[in-house]
Amino acid sequence: MRSVRTAHAVITGLGTAVRGLPGPEGLLGPLPADHRRAGDPVSRLTGRGLRYKDRATKLAMVAARDALSAAGLTDEAGGLTVPGESVGVSASTNYGNVDTVCETVRTIAESTYLATSPMMLPATSSNVVASWIAITHGLRGANLTLCNGPTSGLDAVNWARLLIASGRVERMLVVGAEPDNPAVRHVADMPDLAPDGTSGAPDLFDGAVALVVESPESAEARGVRPLAAVGAYARRGGHADAVAKVRALHTGRVGLWCVPEHPEGVCAPAPALGAAAGSVPVHDLSALHGAASGALGVLQCAAAAVWLDGRGGAGDDVVLVSAGIGDVGGDDASAALILTTPDAVVPRLAGSTR
Amino acid sequence: MSWIVTGMGAVASIGAGVREIFDSLAAGRSGLGPLRGYDRDRFRARMAYEIDDRPAPGVDVPLRATRWLEQAVAAAVADAGLGDDLSRVPVLVGTTLRELRSVELAWRDGIPFDASDLHFGTMLRRRFGAVDTHTVANACSASLYTMALGADLLDLGEADTVVVAGVDTITESTYGLLDRCYPEAPDRVRPFDRGRRGMLQGEGAAAVVLRREADGPGPGTRIHARLRGVAVNCDAYHPSAPDAKSIATVVQEAHRRSGVRPADIDLVMLHGTGTALNDEAESAALGSVFAGLAPSPYMTAIKSMTGHTAGASGLHSLVAAVDVLRTGIVPPTVYLDDPVAAVAGFRLVRGTAERPRQPLRLAQIDSFGFGGLNAVAIVERVEDPGDTAGHPEGVDL
Repeated sequence: MRSVRTAHAVITGLGTAVRGLPGPEGLLGPLPADHRRAGDPVSRLTGRGLRYKDRATKLAMVAARDALSAAGLTDEAGGLTVPGESVGVSASTNYGNVDTVCETVRTIAESTYLATSPMMLPATSSNVVASWIAITHGLRGANLTLCNGPTSGLDAVNWARLLIASGRVERMLVVGAEPDNPAVRHVADMPDLAPDGTSGAPDLFDGAVALVVESPESAEARGVRPLAAVGAYARRGGHADAVAKVRALHTGRVGLWCVPEHPEGVCAPAPALGAAAGSVPVHDLSALHGAASGALGVLQCAAAAVWLDGRGGAGDDVVLVSAGIGDVGGDDASAALILTTPDAVVPRLAGSTR
Repeated sequence: MSWIVTGMGAVASIGAGVREIFDSLAAGRSGLGPLRGYDRDRFRARMAYEIDDRPAPGVDVPLRATRWLEQAVAAAVADAGLGDDLSRVPVLVGTTLRELRSVELAWRDGIPFDASDLHFGTMLRRRFGAVDTHTVANACSASLYTMALGADLLDLGEADTVVVAGVDTITESTYGLLDRCYPEAPDRVRPFDRGRRGMLQGEGAAAVVLRREADGPGPGTRIHARLRGVAVNCDAYHPSAPDAKSIATVVQEAHRRSGVRPADIDLVMLHGTGTALNDEAESAALGSVFAGLAPSPYMTAIKSMTGHTAGASGLHSLVAAVDVLRTGIVPPTVYLDDPVAAVAGFRLVRGTAERPRQPLRLAQIDSFGFGGLNAVAIVERVEDPGDTAGHPEGVDL
C-alpha cells in the first residue's frame, strides 16, 4: 500500500506491564538488575473475574489502564472522559491465547470434554485480549486484533492510524502483549523457562505495553499534549525496502533506530538490514526485554515516544522503528514506521468525526 | 465512495468453489456429517460441518486452514484477472482460530509445526509474493471486519486493489468447550428454531477482490456486485454474549454509510448461529431496525448448511448474497421447522429456496463475533454486461 501523505495521528499516553520496569520512561534503558525479584505487574489488578482471564489479557489490562489514564481518557474513578464509541482498540499478540488452547486440548485428551471449564471458551478466540480491554473500559469503537507475526505490533499501530484517518474512530488504544509460559515456548521453539535466580535479560518477553493514538484534533480539543506523532508505515518483503519507503516520506535525520529482533540475538543489526544504518544510535528492545514477538512493535513505538518527548520538541530528528527482517531472515515481511515530534504534524482541516 | 467486487473464491463443506457452494445452498444441501477429525469418544457432540480432506478418519494434519485460504484467494484473484502476483496488493485475512489447530497437534501429538505459519502471511508470501498481508483475529465477524479495513484502504488511497479473505478450521479446544457449554449436544445448526440446541462449527475459506468503483474492474472483466458500505463496532459488554442494542446500532450505521433506508433492503443474510443468545439478540435488533416494514426483507441463514464457519462466515454469506442478487434465488434456512416467536414478522425462507417475483437489489450481511465484535455490510446488485455466467444452470429448486 502507499504510505501516508500527512500524519493523522499522535500518541498521547503510554502504559507498561513488565516485571521490574517502573514505567514507560524505563523503556530507553536496560531493566534494573533485580528485575526478576520485582513484583508481578498483574498483581496490580484486583477484583472479580480475574481467575479465568489468561496472562496476556491480564498484562494487557494493566498496560491499557495506565495508557488511558496517562492520556486523560479516564478520570480518577476510572470512567471514560469521552464517548465510548469514539475509542477503538488495536491489539497485537501472536502467542496470547496459546496457553488456553494447549491446556484445553490436553485436558480433553486426558479426561474428555467434561473436564474442561466453559469459562475458558472466550480465551480460545484470539481476540480475547482486545475484547476484555473494550469491556473493562467501555470502548465501543472498532476493535481489532493483529496476529501478524514479527511485524504485528507495528501493523497494529498503523491500523490504529488508518482507523483514525478513515474517521471510524477518534482514538485508538493500541496494546501489544505476549506471555511467557511453557506452551508459548513450545510453539516458539524456545528453551524451557529459565530457573529462578538467573541473572541478565529475559530471553522471552512477558508483558504488555499500550499507547493511546488519536487524531491531532482530538488531542487539541481535549487539551492533551502529544508525545509524538505516528508517521509513514510500510510492510515489504525486504527490510531495506520497507525502510527506504518510509525514509522517502520522512527525510529528517534518524536520531534513534529501534531495530527488529535479530535472529542471532546480536545487538547491532547486520549490514544486510541495510538503509539507514550508518551511525544511527540503535535501540534493541528484544535484547533488553527478550523476544517480544507481537508486542515488539508497540514496545518500540512506546520507547520512541518517550525518546521524542524527552527532547522537548527540540530538533527535527525522527525515530525509525522496524520489525521483522523479511528476506534476510526468513520472516514473511518486514515493517518500518517513522515517529516524529508532534510539532511536525499539521492537523487536517476536516472536522472532528463525533 | 463505493467499491466493486471483481473476484470471488470460496471453499466450504458444501462445495469447493463459489458456484458449487451456491448450488448446494440453493438445493438446501447441508455439509453436516459425523465428526471426522477427532477421537469421538472424547466428546458428547458427534457432528460438524467439516471439509472432508483428511488422510483418514480420526487422522488430522496441520495447515488445513492455510490450504483452504490459498485455494480461495487463488480462485478470487484468478476470477479478477490478477494472475498469481500479489506483490503490490494488500491481502487482509479475517480469522477466529488462525492455525491454532496446528498448534494443538504440535503440542499434544508432536506433529511438527513452524510458528511462522501461525499467521497466514507466510503462505501468502510463498504462494502469491504478497508482502502487505494482515492476519486479523477478529472472531466470527473477522472477514467482514477486514472488508471494512479493505474498503478504508481504498478510500484513503493507500491501495488500488485489495484482497479480503476469511478462513477457519475447527480446533479441538473450541469444539470441546462448546460441547461443555450446551445443556444438550447440538445435532445440527437450527437458526431461529424452537428446537435449536446451539451452534456447530464449520470449516472453510472465502476471498474477494475489492476495488474502487470509479476505477472500474481493472484487469478483470467482471463486476460481481457493488459494496455500498461496511460498519463495525464493539459491544464492550460481554466476552461471548451479544448485545441487541449494539447490533441495531451497527446495522443502522451500515445503512447510513451506504445511503440506504431499511425499506430499501431486499435481503438479509442473517448471522443466525442457532444459539439462543445470538438468535434472540439478532432478532431483537432486526425487529427494531425493520420495525413497521411489512413484509420484512427476505431473510435466510446459511449456517444451517455450512455450519458456523467463524472468521470465514461473514464472507461466505457475502459471496452467497452476491449470487442471490445475481440469480434471484434465495436459499432456505434448512431445519427451521418451528420458528421462535421473535421472528414471526420476518420473511424467512424455509424448506426450499424461493425465487421472489420482484428483483432483489440490496442485501445486508450480518456478522457478529465473540468480544461483541459486529460487522455489517451492504452489497448491491450490478447489471454486469461482462457477466456471461448468468443464472447458474441446473439449480434444483
